[in-house]
Amino acid sequence: MPTKPAKKDPFFIDFPRRVSQVQKEMAKERIDVYLGSRLRTLSWISDAFCPWRSYVVIPPEGMPTVFTFVIDAARIVDESWLDEDHVLGYAPMGGMDQISIIADFITGILKGKKGRIGFETGLSNYLPEGNLTQFEYDRYRQELGGCEFVNAHHIVDRLSLIKDEGTINRFRKASRIVDEGHKAVREALANGGWKGMTETEIAGIAALAMRRAGSVWEWSFTGGNEIASGYRTGMAGCACTPATTRRLKRGEPLMVDIHAMFKLALGDHAHNYFIGGATKRQLWHARNFVDIVSRTLRAYRAGASPLSIAEEMMDFAETRGFAEYMVPGFEHGIGMMGDEWRIGMNDGPFPYWTNPDHAYRENEVLICAMQYACPDEKIGFRYENPILILKDKCEAMSKFGLRVEVIE
Amino acid sequence: MEQTVTYLSQQWRDEAEKRLKGEISPEKMKHLTSSVAYVYVGCPDGRDRYLYFKTTDGRFEQILVGEGDPPQSDFRVTGPYDIFAGLTQGKIKSQRALMSGKLRLKGNMVKALKLASLADRINKVLEKIPARY
Repeated sequence: MPTKPAKKDPFFIDFPRRVSQVQKEMAKERIDVYLGSRLRTLSWISDAFCPWRSYVVIPPEGMPTVFTFVIDAARIVDESWLDEDHVLGYAPMGGMDQISIIADFITGILKGKKGRIGFETGLSNYLPEGNLTQFEYDRYRQELGGCEFVNAHHIVDRLSLIKDEGTINRFRKASRIVDEGHKAVREALANGGWKGMTETEIAGIAALAMRRAGSVWEWSFTGGNEIASGYRTGMAGCACTPATTRRLKRGEPLMVDIHAMFKLALGDHAHNYFIGGATKRQLWHARNFVDIVSRTLRAYRAGASPLSIAEEMMDFAETRGFAEYMVPGFEHGIGMMGDEWRIGMNDGPFPYWTNPDHAYRENEVLICAMQYACPDEKIGFRYENPILILKDKCEAMSKFGLRVEVIE
Repeated sequence: MEQTVTYLSQQWRDEAEKRLKGEISPEKMKHLTSSVAYVYVGCPDGRDRYLYFKTTDGRFEQILVGEGDPPQSDFRVTGPYDIFAGLTQGKIKSQRALMSGKLRLKGNMVKALKLASLADRINKVLEKIPARY
Protein backbone atom coordinates (compact mmCIF):
# COMPACT_ATOMS: atom_id res chain seq x y z
CA MET A 1 0.00 0.00 0.00
CA PRO A 2 1.47 3.39 -0.96
CA THR A 3 2.45 5.59 1.95
CA LYS A 4 -0.04 8.40 2.48
CA PRO A 5 1.90 11.68 2.72
CA ALA A 6 2.24 13.29 6.13
CA LYS A 7 2.04 17.03 6.69
CA LYS A 8 5.83 17.43 6.62
CA ASP A 9 5.97 15.66 3.26
CA PRO A 10 6.71 18.23 0.51
CA PHE A 11 3.95 16.66 -1.57
CA PHE A 12 1.34 16.79 1.18
CA ILE A 13 -2.02 18.22 0.19
CA ASP A 14 -4.67 18.92 2.80
CA PHE A 15 -7.58 17.16 1.09
CA PRO A 16 -10.03 17.44 4.01
CA ARG A 17 -9.45 21.21 3.85
CA ARG A 18 -10.21 21.18 0.13
CA VAL A 19 -13.46 19.38 0.80
CA SER A 20 -14.31 21.81 3.57
CA GLN A 21 -13.72 24.73 1.18
CA VAL A 22 -16.08 23.16 -1.34
CA GLN A 23 -18.68 22.68 1.38
CA LYS A 24 -18.42 26.34 2.40
CA GLU A 25 -19.04 27.38 -1.20
CA MET A 26 -21.92 24.90 -1.44
CA ALA A 27 -23.50 26.50 1.62
CA LYS A 28 -23.18 29.97 0.11
CA GLU A 29 -25.01 28.77 -2.98
CA ARG A 30 -27.55 26.71 -1.02
CA ILE A 31 -26.31 23.49 -2.62
CA ASP A 32 -27.13 20.42 -0.55
CA VAL A 33 -25.09 17.88 -2.48
CA TYR A 34 -22.28 18.29 -5.01
CA LEU A 35 -22.20 15.58 -7.67
CA GLY A 36 -18.81 15.81 -9.38
CA SER A 37 -18.13 13.81 -12.50
CA ARG A 38 -15.22 15.56 -14.19
CA LEU A 39 -11.84 13.87 -14.13
CA ARG A 40 -10.28 17.07 -12.79
CA THR A 41 -12.71 17.13 -9.88
CA LEU A 42 -12.12 13.48 -9.06
CA SER A 43 -8.34 13.94 -9.04
CA TRP A 44 -8.53 17.15 -7.04
CA ILE A 45 -10.78 15.65 -4.39
CA SER A 46 -9.67 12.01 -4.19
CA ASP A 47 -5.95 12.21 -4.96
CA ALA A 48 -6.32 9.11 -7.10
CA PHE A 49 -6.42 8.52 -10.83
CA CYS A 50 -9.96 7.51 -11.80
CA PRO A 51 -9.81 6.23 -15.38
CA TRP A 52 -13.25 4.61 -15.32
CA ARG A 53 -16.42 6.66 -15.27
CA SER A 54 -16.46 7.93 -11.73
CA TYR A 55 -18.37 10.38 -9.58
CA VAL A 56 -17.77 12.09 -6.29
CA VAL A 57 -20.62 13.00 -4.00
CA ILE A 58 -19.85 15.75 -1.53
CA PRO A 59 -22.35 16.15 1.31
CA PRO A 60 -22.90 19.47 3.13
CA GLU A 61 -20.46 18.29 5.79
CA GLY A 62 -18.18 15.32 6.34
CA MET A 63 -16.32 13.09 3.97
CA PRO A 64 -16.89 12.89 0.23
CA THR A 65 -17.62 9.53 -1.38
CA VAL A 66 -16.23 8.42 -4.71
CA PHE A 67 -18.19 6.00 -6.87
CA THR A 68 -16.31 4.12 -9.53
CA PHE A 69 -16.53 0.93 -11.55
CA VAL A 70 -16.25 -1.87 -9.01
CA ILE A 71 -13.20 -3.41 -10.67
CA ASP A 72 -11.16 -0.34 -9.76
CA ALA A 73 -12.58 0.65 -6.37
CA ALA A 74 -10.08 -1.29 -4.24
CA ARG A 75 -7.13 0.29 -6.05
CA ILE A 76 -8.56 3.76 -5.57
CA VAL A 77 -8.95 3.06 -1.85
CA ASP A 78 -5.31 1.98 -1.85
CA GLU A 79 -4.07 5.14 -3.53
CA SER A 80 -6.49 7.75 -2.20
CA TRP A 81 -6.74 9.35 1.23
CA LEU A 82 -10.32 8.05 1.33
CA ASP A 83 -11.13 4.81 3.13
CA GLU A 84 -13.13 1.85 1.82
CA ASP A 85 -16.37 3.27 3.15
CA HIS A 86 -15.87 6.35 0.99
CA VAL A 87 -14.91 4.69 -2.26
CA LEU A 88 -17.80 2.59 -3.48
CA GLY A 89 -18.03 0.42 -6.54
CA TYR A 90 -20.86 0.29 -9.01
CA ALA A 91 -21.68 -2.65 -11.23
CA PRO A 92 -24.48 -3.89 -13.47
CA MET A 93 -26.40 -5.50 -10.64
CA GLY A 94 -29.72 -4.71 -9.06
CA GLY A 95 -29.36 -1.52 -7.03
CA MET A 96 -25.67 -1.32 -7.86
CA ASP A 97 -25.67 0.43 -11.22
CA GLN A 98 -24.18 3.89 -11.10
CA ILE A 99 -27.48 5.74 -11.28
CA SER A 100 -29.30 3.67 -8.64
CA ILE A 101 -26.47 3.56 -6.13
CA ILE A 102 -25.68 7.28 -6.36
CA ALA A 103 -29.31 8.41 -6.40
CA ASP A 104 -29.93 6.21 -3.37
CA PHE A 105 -26.87 7.64 -1.64
CA ILE A 106 -27.95 11.21 -2.33
CA THR A 107 -31.45 10.42 -1.09
CA GLY A 108 -29.83 9.29 2.15
CA ILE A 109 -27.93 12.58 2.48
CA LEU A 110 -31.08 14.59 1.81
CA LYS A 111 -32.96 12.48 4.39
CA GLY A 112 -35.96 12.25 2.11
CA LYS A 113 -36.23 16.00 1.48
CA LYS A 114 -36.02 17.60 -1.93
CA GLY A 115 -32.68 19.29 -2.27
CA ARG A 116 -30.53 21.38 -4.53
CA ILE A 117 -27.89 19.33 -6.32
CA GLY A 118 -24.81 20.86 -7.87
CA PHE A 119 -23.53 18.94 -10.87
CA GLU A 120 -20.97 19.45 -13.61
CA THR A 121 -21.81 20.18 -17.19
CA GLY A 122 -20.42 22.32 -19.96
CA LEU A 123 -18.31 22.11 -23.05
CA SER A 124 -14.76 21.00 -23.58
CA ASN A 125 -12.36 20.42 -26.43
CA TYR A 126 -10.70 17.92 -24.12
CA LEU A 127 -12.29 14.50 -24.61
CA PRO A 128 -11.99 13.05 -21.09
CA GLU A 129 -13.43 16.11 -19.35
CA GLY A 130 -16.23 14.06 -17.81
CA ASN A 131 -19.20 16.40 -17.77
CA LEU A 132 -22.43 14.69 -16.83
CA THR A 133 -23.99 13.25 -19.98
CA GLN A 134 -27.53 14.01 -21.08
CA PHE A 135 -28.53 10.44 -20.28
CA GLU A 136 -27.04 10.58 -16.79
CA TYR A 137 -28.65 13.96 -16.13
CA ASP A 138 -32.07 12.72 -17.23
CA ARG A 139 -31.79 9.56 -15.17
CA TYR A 140 -30.62 11.35 -12.01
CA ARG A 141 -33.47 13.83 -12.36
CA GLN A 142 -35.86 10.94 -12.72
CA GLU A 143 -34.48 9.09 -9.69
CA LEU A 144 -34.21 12.23 -7.57
CA GLY A 145 -37.56 13.65 -8.57
CA GLY A 146 -38.30 17.06 -7.15
CA CYS A 147 -34.65 17.97 -6.59
CA GLU A 148 -33.28 21.07 -8.26
CA PHE A 149 -30.17 20.57 -10.39
CA VAL A 150 -27.74 23.45 -10.87
CA ASN A 151 -24.48 23.55 -12.78
CA ALA A 152 -21.83 24.11 -10.11
CA HIS A 153 -18.44 23.25 -11.61
CA HIS A 154 -17.30 26.82 -11.00
CA ILE A 155 -16.90 25.95 -7.32
CA VAL A 156 -14.15 23.43 -7.99
CA ASP A 157 -12.71 25.50 -10.83
CA ARG A 158 -12.32 28.54 -8.58
CA LEU A 159 -10.85 26.62 -5.66
CA SER A 160 -8.40 24.65 -7.80
CA LEU A 161 -7.08 27.62 -9.75
CA ILE A 162 -4.41 28.74 -7.28
CA LYS A 163 -2.11 25.87 -6.43
CA ASP A 164 -1.06 25.00 -2.89
CA GLU A 165 2.52 24.17 -1.95
CA GLY A 166 2.10 20.40 -2.15
CA THR A 167 0.62 20.62 -5.63
CA ILE A 168 3.38 22.96 -6.81
CA ASN A 169 6.03 20.61 -5.44
CA ARG A 170 4.41 17.69 -7.20
CA PHE A 171 4.57 19.65 -10.47
CA ARG A 172 8.23 20.47 -9.84
CA LYS A 173 8.98 16.79 -9.27
CA ALA A 174 7.06 15.72 -12.39
CA SER A 175 9.07 18.27 -14.37
CA ARG A 176 12.38 16.98 -13.04
CA ILE A 177 11.29 13.52 -14.09
CA VAL A 178 10.62 14.79 -17.61
CA ASP A 179 14.14 16.22 -17.63
CA GLU A 180 15.41 12.68 -17.02
CA GLY A 181 13.44 11.52 -20.05
CA HIS A 182 15.00 14.22 -22.18
CA LYS A 183 18.49 13.32 -21.01
CA ALA A 184 17.90 9.70 -21.99
CA VAL A 185 16.60 10.70 -25.42
CA ARG A 186 19.54 12.97 -26.05
CA GLU A 187 21.98 10.23 -25.08
CA ALA A 188 20.21 7.74 -27.32
CA LEU A 189 20.24 10.09 -30.30
CA ALA A 190 23.87 11.23 -29.93
CA ASN A 191 26.82 9.88 -31.90
CA GLY A 192 24.70 8.44 -34.67
CA GLY A 193 22.38 6.63 -32.30
CA TRP A 194 19.49 8.23 -34.15
CA LYS A 195 20.19 6.19 -37.29
CA GLY A 196 17.30 3.84 -38.01
CA MET A 197 15.41 5.05 -34.96
CA THR A 198 11.66 5.62 -35.14
CA GLU A 199 9.51 8.19 -33.38
CA THR A 200 7.89 5.44 -31.34
CA GLU A 201 11.27 4.20 -30.13
CA ILE A 202 12.10 7.68 -28.91
CA ALA A 203 8.78 7.79 -27.08
CA GLY A 204 9.66 4.49 -25.42
CA ILE A 205 13.19 5.54 -24.46
CA ALA A 206 11.78 8.62 -22.77
CA ALA A 207 9.05 6.61 -21.09
CA LEU A 208 11.50 4.11 -19.61
CA ALA A 209 13.76 6.80 -18.23
CA MET A 210 10.85 8.73 -16.74
CA ARG A 211 9.33 5.63 -15.20
CA ARG A 212 12.70 4.79 -13.66
CA ALA A 213 12.71 8.29 -12.23
CA GLY A 214 9.28 7.90 -10.66
CA SER A 215 6.70 8.68 -13.32
CA VAL A 216 3.61 6.45 -13.34
CA TRP A 217 2.25 7.40 -16.74
CA GLU A 218 2.99 9.33 -19.94
CA TRP A 219 -0.35 10.90 -19.09
CA SER A 220 -1.23 12.80 -22.23
CA PHE A 221 -4.43 11.75 -23.98
CA THR A 222 -2.76 12.88 -27.20
CA GLY A 223 -0.97 9.55 -27.43
CA GLY A 224 1.44 9.65 -24.51
CA ASN A 225 4.83 10.99 -25.50
CA GLU A 226 4.46 13.08 -28.64
CA ILE A 227 7.30 12.74 -31.10
CA ALA A 228 7.39 14.33 -34.54
CA SER A 229 10.11 14.19 -37.16
CA GLY A 230 10.58 15.82 -40.54
CA TYR A 231 7.46 17.31 -42.12
CA ARG A 232 5.41 16.25 -39.09
CA THR A 233 7.10 18.93 -36.99
CA GLY A 234 5.82 21.63 -39.32
CA MET A 235 2.24 20.71 -40.10
CA ALA A 236 0.15 23.87 -40.16
CA GLY A 237 -1.06 24.87 -36.73
CA CYS A 238 -0.32 21.38 -35.52
CA ALA A 239 0.29 20.86 -31.84
CA CYS A 240 -0.73 17.24 -31.57
CA THR A 241 1.73 14.61 -32.70
CA PRO A 242 1.35 11.11 -31.32
CA ALA A 243 4.50 9.21 -32.21
CA THR A 244 4.48 7.19 -35.43
CA THR A 245 6.78 4.52 -36.82
CA ARG A 246 8.40 7.10 -39.09
CA ARG A 247 12.22 6.79 -39.05
CA LEU A 248 14.47 9.77 -38.39
CA LYS A 249 16.31 11.18 -41.39
CA ARG A 250 19.44 13.28 -41.69
CA GLY A 251 18.78 16.98 -42.10
CA GLU A 252 15.31 16.87 -40.61
CA PRO A 253 13.97 18.46 -37.46
CA LEU A 254 12.86 16.35 -34.54
CA MET A 255 10.43 17.44 -31.86
CA VAL A 256 10.34 15.52 -28.54
CA ASP A 257 7.37 16.41 -26.34
CA ILE A 258 7.25 14.09 -23.35
CA HIS A 259 4.95 13.69 -20.37
CA ALA A 260 5.38 12.33 -16.87
CA MET A 261 2.90 11.99 -14.04
CA PHE A 262 3.87 12.17 -10.39
CA LYS A 263 1.13 12.05 -7.76
CA LEU A 264 -1.34 13.31 -10.38
CA ALA A 265 0.84 16.32 -11.21
CA LEU A 266 1.78 16.56 -14.85
CA GLY A 267 5.21 17.06 -16.35
CA ASP A 268 5.16 18.28 -19.94
CA HIS A 269 8.23 19.54 -21.72
CA ALA A 270 9.17 19.68 -25.39
CA HIS A 271 12.71 19.85 -26.74
CA ASN A 272 13.79 20.17 -30.37
CA TYR A 273 16.64 18.87 -32.48
CA PHE A 274 18.09 18.83 -35.96
CA ILE A 275 19.26 15.41 -36.97
CA GLY A 276 22.69 15.09 -38.55
CA GLY A 277 23.13 18.79 -39.33
CA ALA A 278 21.11 21.87 -40.22
CA THR A 279 21.03 24.44 -43.00
CA LYS A 280 21.39 28.16 -42.42
CA ARG A 281 17.72 28.58 -43.15
CA GLN A 282 16.80 25.91 -40.62
CA LEU A 283 19.00 27.59 -38.02
CA TRP A 284 17.26 30.91 -38.74
CA HIS A 285 13.95 29.29 -37.91
CA ALA A 286 15.48 27.80 -34.77
CA ARG A 287 16.78 31.19 -33.60
CA ASN A 288 13.36 32.72 -34.11
CA PHE A 289 11.80 30.00 -32.06
CA VAL A 290 14.28 30.13 -29.18
CA ASP A 291 14.11 33.92 -29.04
CA ILE A 292 10.36 34.09 -28.90
CA VAL A 293 10.15 31.38 -26.25
CA SER A 294 12.74 33.20 -24.14
CA ARG A 295 10.82 36.46 -24.44
CA THR A 296 7.56 34.77 -23.63
CA LEU A 297 8.96 33.17 -20.48
CA ARG A 298 10.20 36.58 -19.37
CA ALA A 299 6.74 38.05 -19.93
CA TYR A 300 4.79 35.79 -17.59
CA ARG A 301 4.00 37.34 -14.23
CA ALA A 302 1.02 38.05 -12.06
CA GLY A 303 -1.23 40.55 -13.80
CA ALA A 304 -0.28 39.55 -17.35
CA SER A 305 -2.96 37.93 -19.48
CA PRO A 306 -2.94 35.43 -22.35
CA LEU A 307 -3.90 38.21 -24.74
CA SER A 308 -1.33 40.74 -23.51
CA ILE A 309 1.41 38.15 -23.92
CA ALA A 310 0.15 36.99 -27.32
CA GLU A 311 0.00 40.56 -28.63
CA GLU A 312 3.49 41.36 -27.40
CA MET A 313 4.95 38.18 -28.84
CA MET A 314 3.19 38.36 -32.17
CA ASP A 315 4.49 41.94 -32.54
CA PHE A 316 7.97 40.61 -31.93
CA ALA A 317 7.46 37.80 -34.43
CA GLU A 318 6.18 40.29 -36.98
CA THR A 319 9.25 42.51 -36.66
CA ARG A 320 11.48 39.48 -37.12
CA GLY A 321 9.47 38.23 -40.08
CA PHE A 322 8.17 34.93 -38.72
CA ALA A 323 4.69 35.79 -37.44
CA GLU A 324 3.11 33.57 -40.07
CA TYR A 325 4.80 30.55 -38.51
CA MET A 326 3.49 31.10 -35.00
CA VAL A 327 0.33 29.60 -33.60
CA PRO A 328 -0.98 32.71 -31.79
CA GLY A 329 -1.72 30.97 -28.49
CA PHE A 330 1.04 30.59 -25.96
CA GLU A 331 -0.27 28.49 -23.14
CA HIS A 332 -2.84 26.05 -21.88
CA GLY A 333 -4.18 25.34 -18.45
CA ILE A 334 -2.96 22.57 -16.20
CA GLY A 335 -3.82 21.08 -12.87
CA MET A 336 -4.04 17.64 -11.36
CA MET A 337 -4.80 14.87 -13.86
CA GLY A 338 -7.80 15.76 -15.98
CA ASP A 339 -7.35 19.50 -15.69
CA GLU A 340 -5.51 20.12 -18.89
CA TRP A 341 -7.03 22.74 -21.03
CA ARG A 342 -8.84 25.94 -20.16
CA ILE A 343 -7.01 28.57 -18.15
CA GLY A 344 -8.87 30.28 -15.33
CA MET A 345 -12.62 30.44 -15.01
CA ASN A 346 -15.32 30.06 -17.62
CA ASP A 347 -15.68 33.82 -18.04
CA GLY A 348 -14.40 34.56 -21.53
CA PRO A 349 -16.21 35.57 -24.71
CA PHE A 350 -16.40 31.95 -25.88
CA PRO A 351 -17.96 29.60 -23.34
CA TYR A 352 -15.54 27.10 -21.85
CA TRP A 353 -12.51 28.52 -23.64
CA THR A 354 -9.76 30.51 -21.97
CA ASN A 355 -10.68 34.11 -21.29
CA PRO A 356 -7.97 35.99 -23.22
CA ASP A 357 -8.12 38.76 -20.62
CA HIS A 358 -7.70 36.43 -17.67
CA ALA A 359 -5.25 38.16 -15.31
CA TYR A 360 -2.73 35.66 -14.02
CA ARG A 361 -2.39 35.40 -10.28
CA GLU A 362 0.48 34.28 -8.12
CA ASN A 363 0.70 30.49 -7.74
CA GLU A 364 -1.28 29.67 -10.83
CA VAL A 365 0.38 26.90 -12.83
CA LEU A 366 -0.03 26.69 -16.57
CA ILE A 367 1.77 25.18 -19.50
CA CYS A 368 3.66 27.66 -21.62
CA ALA A 369 2.89 26.01 -24.96
CA MET A 370 4.24 27.43 -28.20
CA GLN A 371 4.13 26.00 -31.67
CA TYR A 372 6.24 27.24 -34.57
CA ALA A 373 5.35 25.63 -37.88
CA CYS A 374 6.46 26.25 -41.45
CA PRO A 375 4.76 23.59 -43.57
CA ASP A 376 6.32 24.77 -46.82
CA GLU A 377 9.77 24.06 -45.47
CA LYS A 378 8.71 21.00 -43.51
CA ILE A 379 10.06 22.44 -40.30
CA GLY A 380 8.58 23.21 -36.93
CA PHE A 381 9.31 23.34 -33.22
CA ARG A 382 7.33 23.08 -30.02
CA TYR A 383 7.91 24.39 -26.56
CA GLU A 384 5.96 23.20 -23.56
CA ASN A 385 6.84 23.62 -19.93
CA PRO A 386 4.78 23.96 -16.76
CA ILE A 387 5.32 27.42 -15.32
CA LEU A 388 4.48 28.80 -11.93
CA ILE A 389 3.24 32.37 -11.99
CA LEU A 390 5.03 34.56 -9.46
CA LYS A 391 4.64 38.21 -8.53
CA ASP A 392 7.01 39.60 -11.15
CA LYS A 393 8.23 36.56 -13.08
CA CYS A 394 7.52 32.92 -13.67
CA GLU A 395 9.31 29.74 -12.66
CA ALA A 396 9.84 27.36 -15.57
CA MET A 397 9.64 23.99 -13.87
CA SER A 398 11.43 21.78 -16.38
CA LYS A 399 15.09 22.76 -16.43
CA PHE A 400 16.22 21.03 -19.61
CA GLY A 401 17.98 23.81 -21.50
CA LEU A 402 16.09 25.83 -24.08
CA ARG A 403 17.79 25.45 -27.45
CA VAL A 404 17.43 23.60 -30.72
CA GLU A 405 20.25 21.10 -30.72
CA VAL A 406 22.06 19.75 -33.74
CA ILE A 407 22.67 16.04 -33.16
CA GLU A 408 25.42 14.39 -35.17
CA MET B 1 -38.05 -38.67 8.58
CA GLU B 2 -37.28 -34.97 8.93
CA GLN B 3 -40.11 -32.63 9.71
CA THR B 4 -41.06 -30.18 6.99
CA VAL B 5 -41.33 -26.58 8.15
CA THR B 6 -42.75 -23.47 6.51
CA TYR B 7 -40.14 -21.29 4.86
CA LEU B 8 -39.40 -18.15 6.88
CA SER B 9 -41.44 -19.38 9.86
CA GLN B 10 -39.99 -19.40 13.40
CA GLN B 11 -39.51 -23.17 13.10
CA TRP B 12 -37.60 -22.67 9.89
CA ARG B 13 -35.47 -19.97 11.57
CA ASP B 14 -34.69 -22.29 14.51
CA GLU B 15 -33.68 -25.07 12.14
CA ALA B 16 -31.58 -22.63 10.10
CA GLU B 17 -29.77 -21.44 13.21
CA LYS B 18 -29.09 -24.98 14.38
CA ARG B 19 -27.71 -26.05 11.02
CA LEU B 20 -25.69 -22.91 10.32
CA LYS B 21 -24.05 -22.99 13.75
CA GLY B 22 -23.41 -26.72 13.42
CA GLU B 23 -22.14 -26.80 9.88
CA ILE B 24 -20.32 -23.51 9.29
CA SER B 25 -17.44 -22.79 11.66
CA PRO B 26 -16.08 -19.27 12.31
CA GLU B 27 -13.07 -20.30 10.20
CA LYS B 28 -15.33 -21.15 7.28
CA MET B 29 -17.00 -17.77 7.78
CA LYS B 30 -13.54 -16.16 7.66
CA HIS B 31 -14.18 -14.68 11.11
CA LEU B 32 -16.49 -12.20 9.48
CA THR B 33 -18.20 -9.48 11.47
CA SER B 34 -21.07 -8.13 9.40
CA SER B 35 -24.81 -8.14 8.92
CA VAL B 36 -27.18 -8.63 6.03
CA ALA B 37 -30.93 -8.31 5.66
CA TYR B 38 -32.87 -10.01 2.89
CA VAL B 39 -36.16 -8.24 2.26
CA TYR B 40 -38.77 -10.53 0.69
CA VAL B 41 -41.40 -8.55 -1.19
CA GLY B 42 -44.76 -10.23 -1.78
CA CYS B 43 -44.69 -13.41 0.30
CA PRO B 44 -47.47 -15.97 -0.46
CA ASP B 45 -49.71 -14.33 2.16
CA GLY B 46 -49.18 -10.94 0.50
CA ARG B 47 -46.93 -9.58 3.24
CA ASP B 48 -43.29 -8.47 3.12
CA ARG B 49 -40.81 -10.28 5.34
CA TYR B 50 -37.14 -10.20 6.13
CA LEU B 51 -34.42 -12.66 6.94
CA TYR B 52 -31.57 -11.12 8.91
CA PHE B 53 -28.13 -12.51 9.74
CA LYS B 54 -25.55 -10.98 12.01
CA THR B 55 -22.15 -12.56 12.49
CA THR B 56 -19.43 -11.59 14.91
CA ASP B 57 -15.95 -12.96 14.35
CA GLY B 58 -17.50 -15.62 12.12
CA ARG B 59 -20.08 -16.79 14.67
CA PHE B 60 -23.77 -16.53 13.89
CA GLU B 61 -24.94 -14.11 16.55
CA GLN B 62 -28.43 -13.28 15.30
CA ILE B 63 -30.70 -14.94 12.80
CA LEU B 64 -34.05 -13.23 12.63
CA VAL B 65 -37.18 -13.54 10.53
CA GLY B 66 -39.95 -11.00 10.72
CA GLU B 67 -42.33 -8.63 9.05
CA GLY B 68 -41.83 -4.96 8.27
CA ASP B 69 -38.50 -3.15 8.38
CA PRO B 70 -35.47 -5.33 9.21
CA PRO B 71 -32.81 -4.18 11.70
CA GLN B 72 -30.00 -1.95 10.41
CA SER B 73 -27.47 -3.98 8.45
CA ASP B 74 -24.29 -3.57 6.45
CA PHE B 75 -26.01 -5.00 3.39
CA ARG B 76 -29.59 -5.18 2.33
CA VAL B 77 -30.84 -7.31 -0.54
CA THR B 78 -34.38 -6.63 -1.69
CA GLY B 79 -36.43 -8.63 -4.16
CA PRO B 80 -39.52 -10.75 -4.82
CA TYR B 81 -40.25 -13.70 -2.55
CA ASP B 82 -40.16 -16.10 -5.50
CA ILE B 83 -36.61 -15.17 -6.35
CA PHE B 84 -35.36 -15.62 -2.80
CA ALA B 85 -37.25 -18.87 -2.48
CA GLY B 86 -35.62 -20.03 -5.70
CA LEU B 87 -32.22 -19.07 -4.32
CA THR B 88 -32.75 -20.96 -1.06
CA GLN B 89 -33.87 -24.02 -2.98
CA GLY B 90 -30.83 -23.81 -5.22
CA LYS B 91 -32.98 -23.28 -8.32
CA ILE B 92 -31.62 -19.80 -9.03
CA LYS B 93 -28.03 -18.58 -8.72
CA SER B 94 -27.53 -15.40 -6.71
CA GLN B 95 -25.23 -13.94 -9.34
CA ARG B 96 -27.89 -14.24 -12.03
CA ALA B 97 -30.54 -12.78 -9.76
CA LEU B 98 -28.37 -9.74 -9.02
CA MET B 99 -27.02 -9.24 -12.52
CA SER B 100 -30.44 -9.46 -14.10
CA GLY B 101 -31.72 -6.83 -11.68
CA LYS B 102 -34.20 -9.17 -10.01
CA LEU B 103 -32.57 -8.45 -6.67
CA ARG B 104 -31.34 -5.07 -5.48
CA LEU B 105 -28.30 -4.80 -3.27
CA LYS B 106 -27.65 -1.89 -0.95
CA GLY B 107 -24.25 -1.59 0.69
CA ASN B 108 -20.60 -1.43 -0.22
CA MET B 109 -20.24 -3.38 -3.45
CA VAL B 110 -16.53 -4.00 -2.96
CA LYS B 111 -17.12 -5.54 0.47
CA ALA B 112 -20.08 -7.47 -0.94
CA LEU B 113 -17.85 -9.05 -3.57
CA LYS B 114 -15.60 -10.38 -0.82
CA LEU B 115 -18.60 -11.90 0.91
CA ALA B 116 -20.32 -13.47 -2.09
CA SER B 117 -18.78 -16.89 -1.50
CA LEU B 118 -19.91 -16.83 2.14
CA ALA B 119 -23.48 -16.11 1.10
CA ASP B 120 -23.34 -19.10 -1.22
CA ARG B 121 -22.01 -21.21 1.66
CA ILE B 122 -24.97 -20.18 3.83
CA ASN B 123 -27.46 -20.87 1.05
CA LYS B 124 -26.08 -24.38 0.57
CA VAL B 125 -26.92 -25.13 4.21
CA LEU B 126 -30.35 -23.52 4.06
CA GLU B 127 -31.39 -25.37 0.90
CA LYS B 128 -31.16 -28.67 2.79
CA ILE B 129 -33.88 -27.67 5.27
CA PRO B 130 -37.06 -29.52 4.30
CA ALA B 131 -39.46 -26.65 3.80
CA ARG B 132 -42.80 -25.68 2.31
CA TYR B 133 -42.41 -22.65 0.07
